[in-house]
Amino acid sequence: MTPTILLLNLSLCFAALTALCLSLNRHHTEVFQSKPSARRILLLRVLGWTGIGLSLTVAGVAEGWNFGPVQWIGTLTGAAVALVLLLSYRPRLIGQACGATIALAVAVSAMLQFA
Amino acid sequence: MKGSFRQSMAWLHTWAGLVVGWVLFAVFVTGTASYYRADISRWMRPELTKVSPLTHAELPAAAERAVAYLEKHASEARTWFIGLPHGDEPVLDLFWRIRPGAPPGHVILDARTGAEMALRKTMAGDFLYRFHFELHLPPIWGRWIVGICAMIMLVALISGIITHKRIFSDFFTFRRDKAPRRSFLDAHNVTGVLALPYHLMITYTGIVTLSMMYMPWGVTTAYRGDSQAYFSEAGFVTKSRPVANRPAPPAPIGPMVERALATFPERLGRVSIAHHGDAHATVIAAFEEPHGLSHEHPQIAFDGVTGAVLEVVNGGLKPAAKTFSTMVGLHEAHFAGPTLRLLFFLCGVMGSAMVATGLVLWTLARLPKANERPFFGLRLVQALNIASVAGLPAAVATYFLANRLLPPDLAGRSDWEIRAFFAAWIAAALIPLARPHRRAWSEMLGLVAGLCLAVVLADIATVETHPLRRLGAGEALFLWFDGALLAMACLFAVAVRKVARYQAPSRAERSREAPRPSAAVRSSERPAPLHAAPPPLAAAEPERA
Amino acid sequence: MSTSKGSAGTGLVERAGIFARIVLATGGGYAVAALATALLSVTLPLERSEAVTTATLLSFAILAGVVVLVFALHSVPRAAGILFGAILVMGLGLWLAAGPGLFVGGAP
Repeated sequence: MTPTILLLNLSLCFAALTALCLSLNRHHTEVFQSKPSARRILLLRVLGWTGIGLSLTVAGVAEGWNFGPVQWIGTLTGAAVALVLLLSYRPRLIGQACGATIALAVAVSAMLQFA
Repeated sequence: MKGSFRQSMAWLHTWAGLVVGWVLFAVFVTGTASYYRADISRWMRPELTKVSPLTHAELPAAAERAVAYLEKHASEARTWFIGLPHGDEPVLDLFWRIRPGAPPGHVILDARTGAEMALRKTMAGDFLYRFHFELHLPPIWGRWIVGICAMIMLVALISGIITHKRIFSDFFTFRRDKAPRRSFLDAHNVTGVLALPYHLMITYTGIVTLSMMYMPWGVTTAYRGDSQAYFSEAGFVTKSRPVANRPAPPAPIGPMVERALATFPERLGRVSIAHHGDAHATVIAAFEEPHGLSHEHPQIAFDGVTGAVLEVVNGGLKPAAKTFSTMVGLHEAHFAGPTLRLLFFLCGVMGSAMVATGLVLWTLARLPKANERPFFGLRLVQALNIASVAGLPAAVATYFLANRLLPPDLAGRSDWEIRAFFAAWIAAALIPLARPHRRAWSEMLGLVAGLCLAVVLADIATVETHPLRRLGAGEALFLWFDGALLAMACLFAVAVRKVARYQAPSRAERSREAPRPSAAVRSSERPAPLHAAPPPLAAAEPERA
Repeated sequence: MSTSKGSAGTGLVERAGIFARIVLATGGGYAVAALATALLSVTLPLERSEAVTTATLLSFAILAGVVVLVFALHSVPRAAGILFGAILVMGLGLWLAAGPGLFVGGAP
């Protein structure tokens, strides 16, 4: 269970869950003060589920298909808790946090690529 | 039942959750702490940090010393268990069983001399671990009670999922600024739903770990009740050998340990010796699990008289047995490295929070109206809620505190630590009865925060090798253990602030001024179940995920 | 249970019904799960130890399912009927599959 993969998965899950969360009227309004358009909802959901699928693949490939799913569910839960706390205390920061986690995920994968 | 499927499930969820909630909270908290059982044990025996670890080559001689001690002090025992020294516990940890029902003997020896160690006597992390599934009752009783509660928990989880209408659209919703009942419902949902895979897994696998006790009927019919035959046929353990009742000189243990060490790369955790001195004496070397989800200890059985290898058990489980041991492995999470372990711990904390918020919700949904008296059941549940949700953490903190403050050479010291645990729990349950309800919550939560802080101070004051006293030198364990306790103190301090700052619902305010419970009559009118009526805020929103 | 309409709802009949459901769910549920475990242990086309393990692992899901069923059904007699029917059928099956071995003493 390498911390690098865990970090990658945590940030991927966080970004994916943020997309899914923002595809809901209530949370989109909390963060952007407006309801999302139908196209935007679709886009966010596709992105979100893709991210979740991607993180499962990463976990399975990197940790094996017995450990991977366990670790994946763990990171999904951890990321969801962080998101819910942020959403209820600092909803305006959601956008930045999502950007930061995507950047982190890209950086970690680049590091893994060249390391 | 009357009403829709969902309504009857809401009823089931409410009452199933209530009747076992207090026990479940204790099981969840002590179980969550047990993810760090080894660390707790090491923290509670600070003397051990001064002992240097043993090398592989020293183990056979250490085992010989253990046998010499046991021959002298436990010759009448049927089975000896020798915990061999390893990194975090560089000592010989000996247990022996004389007969079923009698308490086992236990001693810790210096692995290099074979003499009893001058350690403070404590059950350490094992107390919390055993409490998790035995509640400090006679094992049979404790295990059945915990098993029944876990089964009801499983039912409460299933009925809770059915009850929760908007499981996807409310997935991320935690409205902390709304009325207490609403934010407690949100908190209950969020802690329940976000960690739902964990909750289902931990409940089912928990029951499975003791399944052969709860559901022995498969063994009864297929094996005529011979569970040893089942376990060895399934490949979990080596075959058991009946006692021969003929004495025979035992072979030395050292060569067997040496041979075992050369067979598997995993750490040799424990050597057990059954019927020492009998012609059928058996020595079993049990190793730690190899890296994997499944809970499979490689084992080697030796003939205790000749020293020959009788049997080697190493993986190769068939599908069902593999599923079984994977479930047990998932429950114990021995495979989890530091980060994953932290996530498991977090999930355990969420489980505890789910149970606690569920218990409080029951009372919030039943607060009496302005002109009513609180009925007896409400007062009872309120009292039990404080007693478990604040009382148990207070008891655990007191247990740690007692470990640091009781004199090291006190007679029956480890019993006194446990007495301190229960005394604190009883006090934390009784004091709130004499206090107004809301204030009692703040006071007790504040008490827990204070106790956690006191443990940290006592630790720094009494442990000479504490890193804070040696500017960075010393064992890091103390640093992060104290850090975790400080985090707990902060968490409970925040809870105190929340309780104090909550816009008190007017109904709750009145109930404080209501007469004592003895004068109260049981209200025959019950409020509607919380889940049956959708709250206006949620109902106003048309969207679905 | 929607009893919010007043004390008339929580009549003696309803309480007796709830009590009956609790008895059925716990006693009946455990009986069904135990019989299913015993029956599956001797009838599953697997090795003996595998059959026992499979049956035992499944038994708690069966128990939970029975409890949910007992509380979901509208009528108590119907729930009781289903449970007793299941117990009867499985009891008979068990007797046919393992009965002679169980009661006479030969290995099943």
